[in-house]
Amino acid sequence: MSNYRVAVDVGGTFTDVFVLDEDTADVNVAKVPSTPHDPMEAIMSGVSAANVDLENVTLFSHGTTVATNALITRRFPPVAMVTTRGFRDVLEIRRGTRDDLWDAYNDVAPAIIPRRDRLEVTERIDYEGRVLQELDEAEARKVAGRLRARGVETVAVCFINAYANPANENRMREILEEELPGVSISTSSEILPEIFEYERFSTTVANAVLSPLVGGYVQRLGARLKEGGYHGDLLLLHSGGGVMTEALVQKYAVRLAASGIAAGAIACQRLAALCGYENAIGLDMGGTSTDISLVYGGEMRTTKEWSVEYGHPICFPSIEILTIGAGGGSLAWIDQAGSLRNGPQSAGADPGPASYKRGGDQPTNTDANLVLGRLGGELVGGAMTLDHGLAETAVRDGIGEPLGLDLLDAASSVIQVANANMADAVRLISIRRGYDPRDFALVAFGGAGALHGAALARELSIPTVLVPPNPGITSALGCLLVDVRHDLATMYLRPLAEADADEIETEFAKLEDEARERMREEGVPDEHVTLQRTIAMRYLGQWRSLAVPIAPGASINDAVAAFHDEHEREFTYRRDQAPVEIYQLGLRAIGVTPKPEFTPKELTGRDKPAQPYTTRPAKWDEFTEMVATPIFKRPMLEPGQLIAGPAVIEGFDSTVVVPPNVTAEVDEWGIIRMQILETHS
Amino acid sequence: MSSQQRTYTLDPVTFEVVKNAFATTVDLMAEQILRTCHSFVIYARDFSSALCDREGNTVMQGSQDIAVHVGTLHFTAKAMLEAFEGDLHPGDVFAVNDPYVGGTHFNDVSILRPIFHEGEIIAIAQCKGHWADVGGSVPGSFDVTAQEHFGEGLRIPPVRIWSQGVYLSDVAGLILSNSRAPEDTEGDLKAQAEATAVCEREILRLVGKYGVETVLTAMDEVQDYVERLTRQRVAELPDGVWHSEDYIDFDPNRDEGLVPIKVKLEIKGDQLHYDLSGSHPAVGTFLNAGFGSAFSGVVAGTKTFFPDVPLNSGFYRAVEVDLGPVGSVVNAPWPIAVTGFCAGPYEKIMNACFEIWSEIMPERAMACAFNLEYLLVGGRDGRSADHPFFMWYDWMVGGWGGRNGKDGSNATAPVFGVGLAVQPLEGQERLSPVITTGHQIVTDSGGPGLHRGGCGVEKGGTLSECERTVMSYCCDRARSITWGINGGLPSIPHGVWLNKDRDDARFLGAVFSNVSVSKGDTFTRPSAGGGGFGDPLERDPASVREDVIDGYVSVERAVKDYGVVVHETDAELGLHEVDTAATKRERDRIRGERLGWLEADAEDVARRYREGELDTLDLVRQYAVIVDWGTGELFPHTTEQFRAMVRRRAASHWAPVGAGVA
Repeated sequence: MSNYRVAVDVGGTFTDVFVLDEDTADVNVAKVPSTPHDPMEAIMSGVSAANVDLENVTLFSHGTTVATNALITRRFPPVAMVTTRGFRDVLEIRRGTRDDLWDAYNDVAPAIIPRRDRLEVTERIDYEGRVLQELDEAEARKVAGRLRARGVETVAVCFINAYANPANENRMREILEEELPGVSISTSSEILPEIFEYERFSTTVANAVLSPLVGGYVQRLGARLKEGGYHGDLLLLHSGGGVMTEALVQKYAVRLAASGIAAGAIACQRLAALCGYENAIGLDMGGTSTDISLVYGGEMRTTKEWSVEYGHPICFPSIEILTIGAGGGSLAWIDQAGSLRNGPQSAGADPGPASYKRGGDQPTNTDANLVLGRLGGELVGGAMTLDHGLAETAVRDGIGEPLGLDLLDAASSVIQVANANMADAVRLISIRRGYDPRDFALVAFGGAGALHGAALARELSIPTVLVPPNPGITSALGCLLVDVRHDLATMYLRPLAEADADEIETEFAKLEDEARERMREEGVPDEHVTLQRTIAMRYLGQWRSLAVPIAPGASINDAVAAFHDEHEREFTYRRDQAPVEIYQLGLRAIGVTPKPEFTPKELTGRDKPAQPYTTRPAKWDEFTEMVATPIFKRPMLEPGQLIAGPAVIEGFDSTVVVPPNVTAEVDEWGIIRMQILETHS
Repeated sequence: MSSQQRTYTLDPVTFEVVKNAFATTVDLMAEQILRTCHSFVIYARDFSSALCDREGNTVMQGSQDIAVHVGTLHFTAKAMLEAFEGDLHPGDVFAVNDPYVGGTHFNDVSILRPIFHEGEIIAIAQCKGHWADVGGSVPGSFDVTAQEHFGEGLRIPPVRIWSQGVYLSDVAGLILSNSRAPEDTEGDLKAQAEATAVCEREILRLVGKYGVETVLTAMDEVQDYVERLTRQRVAELPDGVWHSEDYIDFDPNRDEGLVPIKVKLEIKGDQLHYDLSGSHPAVGTFLNAGFGSAFSGVVAGTKTFFPDVPLNSGFYRAVEVDLGPVGSVVNAPWPIAVTGFCAGPYEKIMNACFEIWSEIMPERAMACAFNLEYLLVGGRDGRSADHPFFMWYDWMVGGWGGRNGKDGSNATAPVFGVGLAVQPLEGQERLSPVITTGHQIVTDSGGPGLHRGGCGVEKGGTLSECERTVMSYCCDRARSITWGINGGLPSIPHGVWLNKDRDDARFLGAVFSNVSVSKGDTFTRPSAGGGGFGDPLERDPASVREDVIDGYVSVERAVKDYGVVVHETDAELGLHEVDTAATKRERDRIRGERLGWLEADAEDVARRYREGELDTLDLVRQYAVIVDWGTGELFPHTTEQFRAMVRRRAASHWAPVGAGVA
């Protein structure tokens, strides 16, 4: 009997299933259309398409867009908010800013809970956690009565300064539990015990609206898998890049807000690690957009300012992903003043690029790549054919004629602008954070990533590009190789001079107890739990803080030295003499799950020249004319085989472009590694 | 599409790539400053970044920059170039805050770094940020009563702070020691200087890749590109002349009466020509604008109707501005106090532009938006042993004007800077002995209209352990109330109340300085909503009912402002329904009477206000009578002006009696 690990990534269009046989290390994949009305259908049909018997599955992990989609479409159950008297509009006032600075008709999305369903009670805690006003219980019960009458299914309890003392929120919860049995309740002091009312409230409200929905979905999926014979825990990928079990999802549903988006970034991290790279930039390029992520020192960049819609933040550590409107279907166009632009508008799936023959007549990146011969006339193993003539017409009419360029120059211009836009986006996520792209590997995946990866790497002076074996389903792999992970934090706002080492130790110990408790709830034994302490600091007077690791028992001065270094790396300067303030204590708890070993293949192709199956004319920036370019089939390449560009490698779901002065080698993991060679132009 | 033929010298790819790289570069500067600044004002996004060419013209500005700095950065760069002509060296960094050479106000300090290639200056990186304090007589450097700059704060003409890479600590010390918060100020100075170094690094990278000639050409052609884009849009509009005016509340050096700011726009071909002459002479408070900020108001007001056109000096070439004679409230020379330009002329110019452009582009029309306001409570914090200095420095969001087909935006940052984020009260409560009593939307604050103005908010606090504490307020529009257009009505007056609803209640008005306050005092103030768009009697009664359910509009004002009679049918569920017959009757009654209200004896109306028979909103929206909201004393001249305004913007648009529909 085999033992399988199964990972399922549910995307907007496809549900990908990735199966690893633990005994043989064989990989099997399946791709089935997603079923948005009930994502479970596609999951079950994908599992059967992959020929897996659930009884033989040892671990089932899942990245889902259920929460993200609910936030995008705002299909929520009846919900209400209970808050401190005088503050029900904190949720609507937000920080007051607009995303679009100049378009007075482009509004920020309205508050998730309308004003009529935001009810107030008398109570007040001060900044140090002292109770200024006890909760007025008579009022609280009256409010509960109104919520009952309105049939709410979930409630967010959000009191001012509750991060400093949860007593009043807890009492409100008890009253609601008595008065409204079965209703889901989220308190701000439990969901995000951090200072700043709007960010805490917003996160808590997101948890409240997602709880019944996501909790219910996960419960049903778990039951379904159990029926099918699966005995283990259903593991859910969360925004921070770890997994959590079904049980904790019931409490912290909002942690799944970016579940589906995180998978690609995790896959990038794992693939880079497999190839020996600690620093990697992930380029996940699809039809309409590109997700860019960054791994440094083996750790994924995380952010605490994640949101689906501008102005509605979810402030849990989430993998930092920059999404830009550049994909295979992005439109090339000329603006009113005659400048050549690329995206963010896209031809989408319908009509799609002109060459798709579905009525699109505007040129896209896909059309330009086809004109240049870098993309062949067939996609998805021949299931789809592209029309060269329509692509030429679109590029010529849309770009060539108005700019006075011939067809090839026009197509090449389109791609160069698209690449430059992506390079700018990579600069924003790397240079802006103090990272030098030259120290990174570029992991190119998604349907279109490998078409552009090498050119982008040259633009950014990145020496190496990695293309995984199945670029189109790489994200599912990301779900497979993760640990249980929780991020906890507590506020500790104090100037360094007033910091008390014993008190800090006590606070960390409390966090650690809570982390172990959560892990136990998830069935992770203590000996498999590793705990990493962090301490967030800032120069006194600064508004943002930086977290640095601190080992148990280490002196606070070590952490301060690390803070100065990190500040200099990230912001290019340090102020050794300036007073430092402690902001927050953090704890990352990792429950290590047993990992399968991939087995490297033998490099059988080392001395065998790779054989192209054909050649076709293709246009490269280095040559003025089209040149006959060898075309390879990816499945026919053996590990160790080396190809010198210009060349094109066609796979089932993706095409790898190897430009001139670039070499491509298939490594022992089946990954194509491209080296960008120095040129002397 | 044939009109899109380019005449640029750079090839289309290089042009687009370098243009986008310039945009990334200024955004990199912005990100750096945001993450390292000390001033909470900068942190709340009161800053801007620019790449200027070697002549000081702006090539690119940050995509999230504050509106109020738009159109001023090239003045500052040119002032620096002029002051140090022939004496610029690699590694030099300069500071300027002088509003009389095109800056905004003293708190806004620009840090400039000329960028060199092989000994030649090729560009200037600039980062301008609002420092929390630059001296003067009032904490935060906002002295409302200042008449000359000497009371406002330290004036910094272009000075060198780094000379060829060496920090001139003596010069910096002179500046920093004039601030109430020298450590934070030095932190900001260094953070800004580092941000300009980020720009230098990126520009030199582009020079390395494309060559210096290409980069220099691109800086010119990016300006040409924006100019071309702007001119094409303008050429598509009809030629013509438009007028608007808006008002500051009063000039303390004269009798009561609104202070007019006049804006005339002429479109001729592809050129916009603004003329602000006829505006009132400079006022006796700090609500005056220097030429830089007045120009900025025009640019920002115009840009709101061209949201997708990038901003740089190319845009300014298509927008000619004649500010009229020196000495007016929109063209104040040294040493007239100008720090309050933001609450004074700036937003008046912007909103006057909104009214003009609402006629030219009705599909983007918007009524007046609430006026920027800053409340400052400063003193000693008695909660800790050394009684440190504290500043509770607060600004609020408010309502934006009703729009064509759409209500105004509720609780939104001021048009002066829509990226200006409000501060979290939980942070404020840690830093200052002030306990916030509420932060909420003000019912009935949106100007009534077919499309209602957005709602304003209210925030106040109770002072706890404070000592030697004073309060100052920088605002306007207690009398020149946020107005509607196309028949829409005004919103609510601004102004701070001390100990409201107590025996010792005082209305302090919308501009005051250094009012002493002590432990146990409470204060609060509303921000206005936006003005209404269109006749409120034509608003769909169902929309009014929804507003009542959400508490944006009260049952009482639904009747008075909209003529809509709404009854609560279930308090638990919050259900309401419209009484259709009563609504028809009420609307007919109001239609028949409302023109008469505008003619009612103003003194008699003021008396009825003092006696409690009429309230503030009755006066503003029905009778258009302006009084001192604390004492009820009538301002006769102000009322005359206000009534003329309401007749022009509202009454003249109402359908004749009998022609309307309920």
